[in-house]
Amino acid sequence: MRYIKVLSAIGLVFSLFGCEKMSYFQVNPNAPTVADPSLELNNIEQIAFNTISTDAGLASRQLAYTQSASAAQYYAWQRGSMSYGNISQVVKMQQEAARTGKTNYIYLGKFFTCYFIIGMTQTFGDIPYSQMMQSMADNNYDSTAIKPAYDLQHDVYLGVLNELKVASDSLIDNGVTLEGDIVYGGNITQWKQLINSFTLRVLMSLSLKAGDATLNIQQRFNDIVSNPTQYPLMGSNSDNGALPFYNITGNQYPYYNNNSMKTDFYLDSSFVHMLQVLNDPRLFVYGEPTPNAVADNLPASDFNAYGGLWGSGALSDNITKRGDGEASAINNRYAYDPINESSLLMGYSELQFILAEAAARGWISGSPSSYYMNGIQASLQFSDYNSTYSSTDMQNYVSQPSLTLQTGTEIQQIITQKYISMFMNVGWQPFYEYLRTGFPTLEVTGSGIVNQVNGVNAVPKRWMYPLDEYTNNPTNVQNAVTRQYPGGDNVNGVMWLLQQ
Amino acid sequence: MKKRLLVSFPLLFCFFCGISQKIHVSGVVRSAKDSSLLQSVSVLVKGSNKGTTTNATGGFSIEAQKNSVLSFSSVGYMLQELPVESRATLTVFLTPDDKSQLGEVVVTTALGIKKQQKALGYAVQEVSGESLEKVKAPTVTSELTGKVAGLDIQNTSDLFQNPTILLRGVTPLIVIDGIPDPSADPFKLSADDIESVTVLKGTAAGALYGSMGINGAIIYTTKKGKKKRLSVDVNSSTQFQTGYTVVPKVQTQYGDGDNGVYGYVDGSGSGSEGGGWVWGPKLNQKVAGTPSGYLELPQYNSPYNANQLYTVTLPNGQSVSSHYQPIPWISRGANNIKNFFQTGILSTNSVSVSAGSDRGSFRMSASNIFQRGMVPNTGVENPSFTVGGNYALSSKLTVDTKLSFNRQFSNNYPTVGYGPPNILYNLILWIGPDIDIRDLKNYWIPGQQGLQQRNYNLSWYNNPYFIANQLLNGYRKSSTFGEATLDYQFTPELSLKFRNGFNEYGLNQDYQEPYSYIAYSYISKGNYSITETNYFDINSDLILNYKHRFSDRLGISVTAGGSNAYTNYKSDYVTTDGLTIPGFYNLGNSTNPLKASNILNESRLESVYGMIDVEALKFLYLSLTGRSDKTSSLPLAHNNYFYPSAGISAVLSDVLKLPTFISFLKARASVAQVNAGASPYQYLTTYTIGSKWNNVPSLSYPTTANSPGLTPFTKLTQEYGLVFGFLKNRINIDATYFQNKEFNNIANVAQSQASGITSVLENANVYTRRGWEFVISGSPIRTKDFKWETGINFANNHVWLKTATFGTDGYLGSIKQGQRIDKVFIDNSQTPNGTPIYSSNGFEAYDPYYHSMGNSDPAWIYGWQNTFSYKGFSLNISFDGRLGGLIYSTTNQKMWWGGTSPGTVNKYRDDANNGNSTYVGSGVVVASGNVTYDSHGNILTDDRKYAPNTTAVNYISFMQTTSGDMFNHYFYYSDTYLKLRELAITYTLPARFTRKVFTSATVSLIGNNLFILSKLPNVDPDAAADNLQTPSIRSLGVNFNFKF
Repeated sequence: MRYIKVLSAIGLVFSLFGCEKMSYFQVNPNAPTVADPSLELNNIEQIAFNTISTDAGLASRQLAYTQSASAAQYYAWQRGSMSYGNISQVVKMQQEAARTGKTNYIYLGKFFTCYFIIGMTQTFGDIPYSQMMQSMADNNYDSTAIKPAYDLQHDVYLGVLNELKVASDSLIDNGVTLEGDIVYGGNITQWKQLINSFTLRVLMSLSLKAGDATLNIQQRFNDIVSNPTQYPLMGSNSDNGALPFYNITGNQYPYYNNNSMKTDFYLDSSFVHMLQVLNDPRLFVYGEPTPNAVADNLPASDFNAYGGLWGSGALSDNITKRGDGEASAINNRYAYDPINESSLLMGYSELQFILAEAAARGWISGSPSSYYMNGIQASLQFSDYNSTYSSTDMQNYVSQPSLTLQTGTEIQQIITQKYISMFMNVGWQPFYEYLRTGFPTLEVTGSGIVNQVNGVNAVPKRWMYPLDEYTNNPTNVQNAVTRQYPGGDNVNGVMWLLQQ
Repeated sequence: MKKRLLVSFPLLFCFFCGISQKIHVSGVVRSAKDSSLLQSVSVLVKGSNKGTTTNATGGFSIEAQKNSVLSFSSVGYMLQELPVESRATLTVFLTPDDKSQLGEVVVTTALGIKKQQKALGYAVQEVSGESLEKVKAPTVTSELTGKVAGLDIQNTSDLFQNPTILLRGVTPLIVIDGIPDPSADPFKLSADDIESVTVLKGTAAGALYGSMGINGAIIYTTKKGKKKRLSVDVNSSTQFQTGYTVVPKVQTQYGDGDNGVYGYVDGSGSGSEGGGWVWGPKLNQKVAGTPSGYLELPQYNSPYNANQLYTVTLPNGQSVSSHYQPIPWISRGANNIKNFFQTGILSTNSVSVSAGSDRGSFRMSASNIFQRGMVPNTGVENPSFTVGGNYALSSKLTVDTKLSFNRQFSNNYPTVGYGPPNILYNLILWIGPDIDIRDLKNYWIPGQQGLQQRNYNLSWYNNPYFIANQLLNGYRKSSTFGEATLDYQFTPELSLKFRNGFNEYGLNQDYQEPYSYIAYSYISKGNYSITETNYFDINSDLILNYKHRFSDRLGISVTAGGSNAYTNYKSDYVTTDGLTIPGFYNLGNSTNPLKASNILNESRLESVYGMIDVEALKFLYLSLTGRSDKTSSLPLAHNNYFYPSAGISAVLSDVLKLPTFISFLKARASVAQVNAGASPYQYLTTYTIGSKWNNVPSLSYPTTANSPGLTPFTKLTQEYGLVFGFLKNRINIDATYFQNKEFNNIANVAQSQASGITSVLENANVYTRRGWEFVISGSPIRTKDFKWETGINFANNHVWLKTATFGTDGYLGSIKQGQRIDKVFIDNSQTPNGTPIYSSNGFEAYDPYYHSMGNSDPAWIYGWQNTFSYKGFSLNISFDGRLGGLIYSTTNQKMWWGGTSPGTVNKYRDDANNGNSTYVGSGVVVASGNVTYDSHGNILTDDRKYAPNTTAVNYISFMQTTSGDMFNHYFYYSDTYLKLRELAITYTLPARFTRKVFTSATVSLIGNNLFILSKLPNVDPDAAADNLQTPSIRSLGVNFNFKF
């Protein structure tokens, strides 16, 4: 009898801690598993439009760095990184779009995929394209899916051009509000303008391949330019593909309060010289007067108040020059203004320079000069931080004879203006323009330069494939290297895109 | 003897229910060692003054109450107490009083089951609570350092940080009084409450704890009330942290600045302020034409004159201009470290009271650990309160309960790790000796109190006094834990135990970030955040045990049980985004909308298990266990799994005729398998909350996928051991070898990111872990008055990759099958024989692949404990350390990089300051030829020809770019060290002085972390890692122990 009392007491205590069923624990209460595509769109836009990079400025001889020998500035870089993880986000957004029937997100997704793919193929050359994303999109984990083959760069471009056309053709204002759009606030027309303008950028990046019949660049270019109703283009800076910054933690300008930005970024002397020769007022918003000029009470609007560091020169020489007060630091706004200026995926001025170059190349009719002037004006307006210079200053600048397009140097002048306009606002684009056109000449004579071709200092043409591909997809990456680069996977290999 | 132990349990209960009645008891006393008859053994009736001694044939005769207890004592033997229990004749076995009475020792094993050491088929090592009593460390865990073979305690020098605990290379389960504590917090146990610590070293030992015990277990058994005695213990120990065991040495000859130039302008660090480097002009330079005769430069504490621009030309010809008046550029900061830190205190005080009666016992204790940190305005209070007892509710039913409460309270403790909130970052690495730290005591700029800190640099670094007094980490944790056990003895052979244990805590942390605090990416506009965490787990076991002895040659014990474990972890985090009113730390004061997040993790494990112990032929012991778990943290299709273990032990010295110098020999072997699930929700794919943009929300999706067929991780272990006792057990050796096969690892299997998925959580890869453990103990000297007892242990374990399940060519990342997985990799270019390779610009070259430069695991870890006793004095001294293994030193790297390492004081530095590039890095350049690699970085062809590097570069630029890593072992240093860990000189007051008041009284001089020999400069290798640690502190103090 006493046993029964004891055992029932024990049983009672056990029952006090009655438990949830095992299936209850199979749901993570901390995060959702399904979502509206708009939430992914915001995330993708934060990545795609945030292009600003000091490394790009260093590699493009617009900036010089004094904290240590910079791999970007001295061309000591080796491997690049891939961004398929961003495309995975796009695929997920497209899946959620299909689930919810919000089809515009699918076509925006096509654009973003093309954008990320172009970024990667410009970095490496051949990349996986036709076989990519199978694990993400189809839950396919067979040997091909997890180790996608590399496509020829030519085929990657062909695929991208076709996809961009589908994206532009398919986006329609179907009455379903495009939410989560932190760039255009859901304006479908502006999205089409960006997609078409970006398509022109891709076509122009293929200028060395103008003769390729399958790509048929000139025709594709004309199809867009000649049909503004079907293929609208950006009409002003207000159509820029721009990510604005806000004074909220995490939404501030990426270098806001960055210590290196406060102390170690200076303008490159070749860049300062270029702006001084052209009397370009953008010098006043890109840089700060040198300490010596300040001590001498030179106004910030005096071109002589500026000086640069020798980007390819030895670090110690630059530090000495900095210590002597001879160097212009990057403008304070890049470190001290939480909002500063927007980051561009692509801006209106770039579109105008592309059109100018196309006209100069005879791809389209029209005057290169007027596109060119539109581009300069648009850039001057975009960069006029706190109205540092007036509209008169802008007018005076463009009416200088030295700005006029000269026969024979049109492309050099156009690319030079494009280069100036792209200071710290559109990532690596000025560097890619240099690789394609050779303009402006990036100076490599200093003793700081690490990269050499046949014993001669040289600007690298690409980045090596990432190490994780050698670990996880070795056969395919090796095949891609072998067929493209006789000298192996190195930064001086010339990819198909850049072969004359 | 064995039989007595087996039957003693039920007899205890009879003892409680006996009736007072006098009987005549007679018997013989024998040695447990060889059954020889013992004479002159003192026999006392406990609690009375009645007594006798045994005669020449070991016999005795005495009158006693039926329910009384007889105590038997004799020199060289352990005290034995036996209840009379109405028996008229008794045979008593006394155990020889060796330090290790090999085999006869009873230890606590998994689930709190007590077993004889000699019956175990696996390695178990016990540390007595007594050895933890005197020399105190911040946690009991730290006090175990070096005392157990295979247990690697990595102690940090930082205040209020957990030591890392590795048992055979992995983190073991912590068990307190039989209750697993998966949220283990080393600060919640008071050393003075510990009766013993048992380390169940391997998977076999932990098998009965199931997946929780897969890595072995450390079992803390707390003190219980002693039967029939009221006693009061007081223990008090106070140590002062009076000096440094290891402290970084910095140069005192060059000040702040860059390339020999410095001139304070506005604190921004830019221009002539040199970007925050300590590569400035030489200090104490005599120059002509200054008032002081020394070089004078504008400095942060110079008088300011808005109307005058001072221009100084430096000896190197460069000039600086500032509105700050030049003052002497002299060395002031040689004692900055000493001047900033205060004397730390570690004080531990405890009182306990215990009492017992026929039916049970009771103990309560209160203790407090107080720590004052070396950093001003830091400290920890850590009080504990425990009450527990046991009581025989009836002759068959006993109850045993315990409840502990622990509070950890700190208003501020230092932030650790390299970075702006770390005191050392601002005190050693990035401050020049031109600055006297004491001048920074006033840490607000006058007129800007609460808004702007005062410092020599206002965009890179924080004033250490500002950090200590304004950047505050608050921590308030209340832990409650305890257990209740009911034990029902149906018959002497059959018993049932029901045990419930729980661990609970509530933790409130807050963080105050003042205006002008400098982080890497922002200068604070003030912030306040609060994290509230609540944790609860409960563990219930129902265990049935049946024992039966068939004959003196065969006995069995069968245990069957079931358990249920549930854990619940909840945490909420809220932070401001800027503070509207500076210095007002309240969530309501947020400038922008508050940000918040929370998390809930729940899991459950249901198990049934069984064990059969067989004792046969008086020397063989066999133990079989089996356990079946059902876990919530695996997919339902695979969440139920069974695993077995078997262990055998043979006391060969009981059956074999061995040479006389071998007094004991035991062989043991075990095999065990344990399975374990994943972490809660680990295999469930969900979105991640992304950052809001202008308050528009976002989500991102993981690029890691999960295999739906996930099965449990499995560890299969084999373990073999030999125990020798030599020369009547004066010297004992315990040797263990183990080998684990760790397979079905729940691992992220990488795949090409072009597939859209970077990795898949799958069962993959097989690892082998092997190791040796040796414990040698003995009493080399034992005379009437003097005794030396010593114990040495050493152990190692390493892990090899056996199979890379989804790897290409047998590689998992950079590790090839058959290789150890703790390889250390660098990508700095070297020739095949290790000479550094330089680029054409005179700086270091880099390879496109990583190559290994050694292993991080130590070859051996070891400890050595000694006790010398002479009359009332005893000296405890213990050493420990590691041999081999590589650790990366952030402190050293940053010191060479930033310009504060004494090694940077050389002529090249002077040359660089004078604008001359004279430094030629020692090494080679590639003169011709190429190297090609396979896709794993192995060299395929190499026809490189080398020429000496001849390119002279600026020394400062060189150091800023390379830190001189090629001549500093790439900052991977050997972990080899020998540390004098503990020292205690104890005097036990003679009984004649204390008898009236105390049962015993001791006073000890104690020291902790006293001295080290190591290969790692500037930092203590104890923590096996260095991410800018606090200087290692030497503690000295005194301990008092009184027992009433």
